[in-house]
Amino acid sequence: MSQSAIGLYPRSPHIPAAPTGALAPEDVLRAEDRTKVQESRSSGRWLRLLWLLIGPGVLVMLGENDGPSMVSYATTGATYGVGFFVPFILLTFAMAFAVQEMTVRLGAATHRGHAELIFQRFGPFWGYFAMGDLVFGNLLTLMTEFVAIQAGGLYFGIPSWVSVGIGAALVVASLALRRYATWERVTMGLAIFNLLFVPAALYAHPDGGALLRAIATWSPLSGGLTVAFLTLIMANIGATVTPWMIFFQQSAVVDKGLTKADLRQGRIDTGVGAILAAIAGVATVVAAAPLFANGVDASKFSGGGDFATALQPLIGSTGATLFALALIEAGFVAAMTISTSSAYAFGEALHARHSLNLDFSQGTLFYTVATVSIILAAGLVLIPGVPLVALTLAVNVIATLLMAPALLLLLLLANDREIMGELANGRVANLVGGAIVVGITLIGALYGIVTAFPGLFGG
Amino acid sequence: MKTDSHLASALEPSQLTAATSLALPRRELGRGLVALLVALRVYIVLAVLVVIYAFVHALLTPSS
Repeated sequence: MSQSAIGLYPRSPHIPAAPTGALAPEDVLRAEDRTKVQESRSSGRWLRLLWLLIGPGVLVMLGENDGPSMVSYATTGATYGVGFFVPFILLTFAMAFAVQEMTVRLGAATHRGHAELIFQRFGPFWGYFAMGDLVFGNLLTLMTEFVAIQAGGLYFGIPSWVSVGIGAALVVASLALRRYATWERVTMGLAIFNLLFVPAALYAHPDGGALLRAIATWSPLSGGLTVAFLTLIMANIGATVTPWMIFFQQSAVVDKGLTKADLRQGRIDTGVGAILAAIAGVATVVAAAPLFANGVDASKFSGGGDFATALQPLIGSTGATLFALALIEAGFVAAMTISTSSAYAFGEALHARHSLNLDFSQGTLFYTVATVSIILAAGLVLIPGVPLVALTLAVNVIATLLMAPALLLLLLLANDREIMGELANGRVANLVGGAIVVGITLIGALYGIVTAFPGLFGG
Repeated sequence: MKTDSHLASALEPSQLTAATSLALPRRELGRGLVALLVALRVYIVLAVLVVIYAFVHALLTPSS
């Protein structure tokens, strides 16, 4: 019996109870999963309980370690080596945890996705805006994921159309699982390969003492406060906290069926994801640091493949191969999670059925949105002469500039006591969350402006 | 085989699709919140202009 059912957590006043009637197909599958959770909880099998409930947090954090993010971390390592940015990356993942934890509470308290809540609580303008912003931004981001798959493939001599085609086909095929729990486990199994950046870093023979000193002292930082430094600061934040993460984790928490009784495990899930992703992020900086030590200029690199090629003589072919493989994984897993977040948002805003537990006939719109966005993004990447640089720039600008509304709406919803009840943000959560929102908003807006107008600060 | 009612007991009532398909009421917004959302709309208009400028600028700038 859930804690809610035995009255530990009273239902929020504005969350309607279900009318009596037959269960929808997605309810049946979700109920089967929940039965296993309840059996594990009642028998005190805590590790199994954690295993059953872990997923959305790990996926969102490792999913955000996507192609462009890993290129940002590699650029950071190649430009500044091991120093200030190592603890900074750890800080950004702590911020990501604070933001994403709110989505776990929102999902568990309301059993509704983020787009759905915005639509219903703030009206159609913000609902359509949130959906449109997300779906458009996701489409562009998906393109950059296929660019990463393409770049990794080219390192191995695989033609673009083959690597992108296979990548797209596998992402579409993953939707055929038609079971949230299976899809989640498959994606998690793939996402763990994000940690291939760790052995790649070991091939760079890092100085453990220097790494610990960097974490303890936030130094060295060569070059001081320059536009390039500011840009990397903002790119690293953009690599950790983005709008799709908010939408995806809340929708996944709902689809998985997490309740208020599962909050502890939901937080552990998010924390574990943040730690794993931070390790992979720092490892990428460390793996690329030999480029800094050897004075290689990475500013003209066009993508992740160039990093693998440039690193080959410095960390060996095995290290470079691991780097390229991890890059392909980064793009591939992100394509799976990001396309799904678009499908969830579309279904939520348009009141269509949205769940990875649905058959194709039951979730036609849901699967169509995911499939079309994948095929469109992969197809656009393969068009000769498509302005990939301009598109990548637009992705960065959109993601950072539009973080402000996404985070503000998140904070407003997390403070909405009518739907959150006692799970609404407390004073500490608001102080931490508010500081993050203000900080990310200001830095994000500054990043957008610097990216759009590079000459503004004399860069 | 488990019955619907047995399975339904594994879910919270507000978790069922039949419940989540019912829309929540619109939030009543205070004056401060309305002002914040208006400011956010202005910010979005400016942000969209920056995005369009950045894209067109990057499109017209030959890559090295």
